[in-house]
Amino acid sequence: MEDTLNHDEPGRTPDGAPKKRRRPSAAALGELAPLLGLLLISTLFLVLTEGRIFGPINLRSLTNQELITALVAAGAVFVFGAGAFDMSMSGSLCLTAIIGAKVAMATGSIAAMVVACVAVSLLIGIVKGLLAAYVEVPFFIVTIVIGVFLGALGLLAMGKETVLTISALPRIRDMTPINLGSLASVFLGGLVLFNLTSLGKSCKLVGGNERAARQSGIDVRRTKLLAFLVSALTVSIAAIVILLRTKTASALTGGTVGTDIMVALVLGGMPLSGGPRSRIGAALVGAATITVLNSGLAIMGAGPGVIQGFRGITFIAVVFVASLSYRTRLLPR
Amino acid sequence: MAGSADGARELLFAAKGMRKSFGPVRALYDVDLSIYRGEITGLIGENGSGKSTLSSIIAGMLRPDSGEMSLLGRSHAPATMTEGARLGVGMVVQEMGTVPGIGVAENIFLGEEGRFRRFGLIGRKRMIEAAREALRAIGSDIESAAPIDGLDMQDRKLVELAKVMYGDPSLLIVDETTTALSHHGREMLYAVMRRMALEGKAVLFISHDLPELFALCDTLTVLRDGEYVATTPKDEMSERRIKHLMVGRQTGDHYYRGDFDGRFGEEVVLRASEVTTGTGLLENFSLALHRGEILGIGGLSHCGMHELGRALFGEERLMTGTVQHVATGRAVSSPIAAMGLGIGYVSKNRDVEALVLAASIKDNIAAAALDRIASPSGLIWPRGEKAYVEAQIKALDIKCASMHQGVQYLSGGNKQKVVFGKWIGRGCDILVLDCPTRGIDVGVKAAMYDLMYRMKREGRSIVLISEELTELIGMSDRLLVLKDGHLAGEFPRGQGLTETAIIETMI
Repeated sequence: MEDTLNHDEPGRTPDGAPKKRRRPSAAALGELAPLLGLLLISTLFLVLTEGRIFGPINLRSLTNQELITALVAAGAVFVFGAGAFDMSMSGSLCLTAIIGAKVAMATGSIAAMVVACVAVSLLIGIVKGLLAAYVEVPFFIVTIVIGVFLGALGLLAMGKETVLTISALPRIRDMTPINLGSLASVFLGGLVLFNLTSLGKSCKLVGGNERAARQSGIDVRRTKLLAFLVSALTVSIAAIVILLRTKTASALTGGTVGTDIMVALVLGGMPLSGGPRSRIGAALVGAATITVLNSGLAIMGAGPGVIQGFRGITFIAVVFVASLSYRTRLLPR
Repeated sequence: MAGSADGARELLFAAKGMRKSFGPVRALYDVDLSIYRGEITGLIGENGSGKSTLSSIIAGMLRPDSGEMSLLGRSHAPATMTEGARLGVGMVVQEMGTVPGIGVAENIFLGEEGRFRRFGLIGRKRMIEAAREALRAIGSDIESAAPIDGLDMQDRKLVELAKVMYGDPSLLIVDETTTALSHHGREMLYAVMRRMALEGKAVLFISHDLPELFALCDTLTVLRDGEYVATTPKDEMSERRIKHLMVGRQTGDHYYRGDFDGRFGEEVVLRASEVTTGTGLLENFSLALHRGEILGIGGLSHCGMHELGRALFGEERLMTGTVQHVATGRAVSSPIAAMGLGIGYVSKNRDVEALVLAASIKDNIAAAALDRIASPSGLIWPRGEKAYVEAQIKALDIKCASMHQGVQYLSGGNKQKVVFGKWIGRGCDILVLDCPTRGIDVGVKAAMYDLMYRMKREGRSIVLISEELTELIGMSDRLLVLKDGHLAGEFPRGQGLTETAIIETMI
């Protein structure tokens, strides 16, 4: 068809050039970049630490650290994916763990603790979700305030104590089934919810263009609220895992998880501005990368300050590279 | 090819063998272009034919994969737009090129504030004065001290033009700018272009508007699918010939519907009563849309017709009045409610409101149909989603490498097809179309008109809001003209309906 048309034109002969040149390898490489990054960092530290990073003892500590980041990050994919920038994740996790510990100390019941964690976290999620849906202020500012507020509530709940120790709970010999079970269920659930339901698809569309999403019949407020509820659920699971493993909670519980998940998502190949390129896999891969990075540096004898600085540099580098490719891909038509 | 015809013409710019691909999409393939001193060279082609890619390369916004360019006898290979400007190429772009949040003068001298520096501080007064001069030079009296945000689209475009002209380019590129301009603004731009030609410089003019191109251009170069097709001198330009070159086949003379039968059903399907919008652009406005009717809405840019479109879809906050879906008696209070009642809406601001640019064709088309493609279990399986999207791509003949391609890489016409796909797939009975053919080439336009007419005959109803009178006259069963938020005139379909009669009621 094209050829015959070209014959009709004055001074135009058809050339044998292919109509479209496909370069699937480049696209595939982009998709695999986060995994390659993880592999690269793992290999690097494997060499630098002479194998100690994946030694039996450190492997367990790695899994424990990665688990919490991955759990929180999986839920955060929904929130960040929908374009809500939540900087209060640490605060949420901290307060949830403290209240959970209090309840466990008072009742000695794992079931009561689980219920308390889920209830507190969902409550925080509802408040955040409603604020995200209805408050017309750049949302990340709201979450900074919320984060501080949640931390303060945690301190209030602690009262005079600095560390809550739960001695009443039955001892759990092996955390592995719980670790694996929670991780697997959160990820499988996350994958299904994010990729195969209208909630997940709505999150990506809302994050990509809120107005277009609304004009496509998507309930933007409901989507944001539900995203925060999903996130709250994974935060509560993370809190439960922490409490079961450490039997303690303090104002430092949660720690750097808020920034860790952001670094993790970016390292996992998802833009923090959310939108269509958000994915659950980013949480898993990114959490693994950031954990290997943290742990590797620690094994090599780096102090917390150096580790923090190194993470900052990695973060900026990744954001820079990501924004580079974003810009070049956005420009042409 | 151009150039050989007249030995006296002096070459100002030449491009040879330009190639550029974006991933799998070939935007330019071995394109040559010659631009001569003292001439306005038109560039035309369907959306996606490579016009904007070529002009972006000349201006330095994009870099070619291969090919050579020369400007004023020197090799021309700008790496950035700034370098392009320094070499003598000024471009007024299709999209908004001004920066919000700062003043008119700051926009004109963006990046060149240094000129007004004295003792390390920027002399704002001198900058505003210089900006006033720059605006006066193109014949505009926009206040250069004002913030840019208070200006409408047209004035912002003129500020951009002033900025470009202040750089004293040898080659001015005007890329589909006129769609944003009114008659007055266009005249201003045309005057600048003609002056460039008189001064022995040159203009590359990209437009979809054939009469405009014929009136201004000395030669017209046609691109198709990223390839050079032909260059036509002024005396050989005819609408028929150019359309033929663009599309590559004979197009019919009538691309609007051919009949003058303005009949439609008795039944009212959608009724707006005494509607006043929060913006105040529409006041106590009422209308009734009938089954099988194409209801045209026209007027000047601030007449309230765009707000009316949004109101009919439940997207506009109403101060008074209601929009009611007559068959169910339900109010159209939100887009969700509207969609539940079988109403679809194509926004005028395609890239801002109708598409998630970063998402794929699939995600965009499926966005409006999540409720339709979900299986009984509530899960959306990829197979069902793909089948649904594939059907729309086929039905609308969307040109793409695959449904996973990002919509941002599509041409304007194909983007608009994706937007239509969102609503066609839902089988909407009522479609509110706000400037559906804006910035779209003739081929896609014809397809859209055909689709509208087909929908009408199927008993569906369409509200067609448009700034193009010929389109309104060509397609509407009934035409309402708005002025200052009120109904100024109503015209039934008929052979005698002329643009002059309608314009008189508009102004």
